[in-house]
Amino acid sequence: MIQVQELTHSFKIGKKGKERQVPVLKGLSFTINEGEVVSIVGRSGSGKSTLLHILAGFLKPDAGIIQIGNVRTSAFSEMESAKFRLDHFGFIFQNFQLMPGLTAFENVELPLKLAGVAKKDRRKKVQQLLQLVGLTEVQDHYPNELSGGQQQRVSIARALITDPPIIFADEPTGSLDSETEQDILLLIQSLNKTRGITFVIITHDDTVAETADRIYRMHDGELTEGGVHHAI
Amino acid sequence: MQFNDQIDFVRQHIKKNKLRVFMTILAATMGTAFLIVLASVGFGIHDTMRNEILDNRLVNQVEVYSSEMDQAKVEELKKREHVKAVVFRQSVSINQQTELDGFIGSHNMTVTEFQEEAKVGFALQEGRLPENKHEVVVGSHFAESLIESETEGAEAEPSTYKQSLIGKQFTYKMGLYEEKELFPEETTLTIVGIAKEPAKDWVMDTNIYADAAIMPELNRIFTGHVEDMDSQLFYGNVNVYADNLENVTAVSKALKDEGYSVYSIADQLEQLDVFFLAFKAGLVFVGTIAILIASIGIFNTMTMAVTERTREIGVMKAIGASPKLIQRLFLMESAWIGIVGTIIAVVISYGVSFIANLVLPIIVSTALGEEEFTSLDITFSIIPWQLVVIASAISITVAMISGWRPARKATKIDVIQALRQEL
Repeated sequence: MIQVQELTHSFKIGKKGKERQVPVLKGLSFTINEGEVVSIVGRSGSGKSTLLHILAGFLKPDAGIIQIGNVRTSAFSEMESAKFRLDHFGFIFQNFQLMPGLTAFENVELPLKLAGVAKKDRRKKVQQLLQLVGLTEVQDHYPNELSGGQQQRVSIARALITDPPIIFADEPTGSLDSETEQDILLLIQSLNKTRGITFVIITHDDTVAETADRIYRMHDGELTEGGVHHAI
Repeated sequence: MQFNDQIDFVRQHIKKNKLRVFMTILAATMGTAFLIVLASVGFGIHDTMRNEILDNRLVNQVEVYSSEMDQAKVEELKKREHVKAVVFRQSVSINQQTELDGFIGSHNMTVTEFQEEAKVGFALQEGRLPENKHEVVVGSHFAESLIESETEGAEAEPSTYKQSLIGKQFTYKMGLYEEKELFPEETTLTIVGIAKEPAKDWVMDTNIYADAAIMPELNRIFTGHVEDMDSQLFYGNVNVYADNLENVTAVSKALKDEGYSVYSIADQLEQLDVFFLAFKAGLVFVGTIAILIASIGIFNTMTMAVTERTREIGVMKAIGASPKLIQRLFLMESAWIGIVGTIIAVVISYGVSFIANLVLPIIVSTALGEEEFTSLDITFSIIPWQLVVIASAISITVAMISGWRPARKATKIDVIQALRQEL
């Protein structure tokens, strides 16, 4: 499903004219299969978030190929990237990234609005998903009126609303207590099994990583496959 | 994203910053209203001056002067393209006296072709047009200028003719100004019609309008007393009337090209219109400066909106909003400010214009101490739909241009940086 070949990326740091290149990703090649839950684990600065940003199309790689299905996304323009994200990706962020001025319902509805779906079709679908994540009761609440766990559930519902085949989760439980963390991880596993969605989870947490089918370990811009809990 | 959803999105953001948006709209309103009211003064003065020129004048009339004008030339002019009528009026250039039932007056005789006069609106208030050379039409003030011969020159208030003129005969005599006695020959004329009153109250029409057929008879009397071959009894002027206003310039130009001296009100109006076009353009330009000043407010508001919403824009881009959509949403917001500001400004401008036309004449007449001023038809401010369209186009365009840069800035927001922003 996701094939990455010789992916490299570096950042320029320092004052203008005296910049130097710092390599962040050093020729990564790996594959993620359809319907898999894959964790990419690493310490801060290992390059795991940069990898996610490049896979999602937020950043353009210096070199290398990313192929999702039959499409080479690494060659996309900004416009093509945005369209592809809307149709194929869902996102779960560490700090939820909900719109503060929109209710839970409106936040979940937003990607459908962007996709140009008609109002009556949106309503039904949003209600179904809010029921799935157990938030029907609070659908008219604004994010600041919800708990962290509830906010993350809204975020998951928003990620699912366009039926994307792939969901990128960047530290999905990073802002949650351990009990809520377990709830969210169980929800992810359940969605993976019932809907066949591919999850790519970026985390520094062994417990979270262990819930994945496969674990990649990132260190200093390089990637190795293997167990996490015992390997780190 | 559907258009309705885009409108909803913009509306939600505007609701969040009501006060700031209100102040920006207020600035846009003031700028646009200033432009409209300022330019409306130009339109008002232009309209007043046009009306003043057109008042009681025929706009399709071209006055033609030629030292060698004669009936043959007039006939040639009648055959021209786009010429509706040619009126060749000739007036008697020497002293004249009329006498009717013991009432005496000094009336000028004008000979003309009534058929042509009728085509261009020569109308009677009473009677009919002459059918032979001794029948005449008199001006509407003819009777008032007939004074009873016994009271003439006396200190008492002169008595004027009060009876009906239709069907009355009067004697018409001519003479030279430098000689006391008039020529002894009398011509008896019958009044068959009275011309309609001139539109302007202060114009007195005491003329005698006779058919051109009487000219040989009067010329015979004149040449019997005046030996100077160069002197003429009649002097005339020719007015050519175009079939419609659009053809006045063409008719006028053709006559000029053939060596005639011409004057038409259309020429005067054209010059006036050119002057006022420049004048109004100048006023619109000055007014536009006010809108440009207001646009600084729109620019600031939109820049702040983009800065405040950086994280939201980042989230939208992350979940798949295209840069074009982001740009459109912000442009719609600035356009909305421009549109609402313009609508309010148009309403206010009409109000100000109405009040100005109502109050200014009173103020001016009070200041000048002229009571008559208020009765004059002076319009201080007119807002035609064209001015509303021009002002709206300028205002909304300037608002959108002001929002353009902030909107571009929004599209360039880096998703990763935006997502890292704290709530």
